[in-house]
Amino acid sequence: MVDSRKVAIACVLAWLLPGAGHFYLGKRVKGMLFLGIIVVTFFTGLGLQGRVYLASAGKPLSYLATFANVALGPLDLIGREATYSRILYVFPSESDRAMYQDILERTRARILAVTHEYGTTFVLTAGLMNILLILDAFDIGIGRKR
Amino acid sequence: MQSHFLIMAFFSLLVGAFFATLTRDTLREGLKAGALLTVTMVGVSLLIAYVMYFLPLGG
Repeated sequence: MVDSRKVAIACVLAWLLPGAGHFYLGKRVKGMLFLGIIVVTFFTGLGLQGRVYLASAGKPLSYLATFANVALGPLDLIGREATYSRILYVFPSESDRAMYQDILERTRARILAVTHEYGTTFVLTAGLMNILLILDAFDIGIGRKR
Repeated sequence: MQSHFLIMAFFSLLVGAFFATLTRDTLREGLKAGALLTVTMVGVSLLIAYVMYFLPLGG
């Protein structure tokens, strides 16, 4: 019998804090390892001048990248604050001139760094890893995986 | 850290450790799988870089 409440809690915890879903399901060592790996990956990415993405009209891939970032839960907020100095998910329209210029400048400052592409890859990978962890926590919760 | 190779090797190490932890249950199996994944990613990256060396830069 699948305890759907337990599965839901595990998935939400996994989203809120990488590895927390596994920790909740009794896989404590794995949970701690996942937390360490994903946190190191994410902050290495930010340190390498990587950035989190903003959904941008007319750029479908930016929605996927933003989704990968948001999969990190609250860690994503730190990324947004570090990149744009505010919590923002959508690229501002040109009509909001001041905001548009500010975001453009902040994005440009990161893009010009030699390690920007690497950093962004680290940040995106951390998000993608956490999506796999949420799915893994789900599988363990329903008994598909031990 | 601005060395392309070191960044790539560190990335491979993290991804290797992640998938080893995800797919293996014992420490011994995990270390083996993680090492194999890391070495394979670094090796394939170097191989691709070597092949791309012969491609014209363009422009």
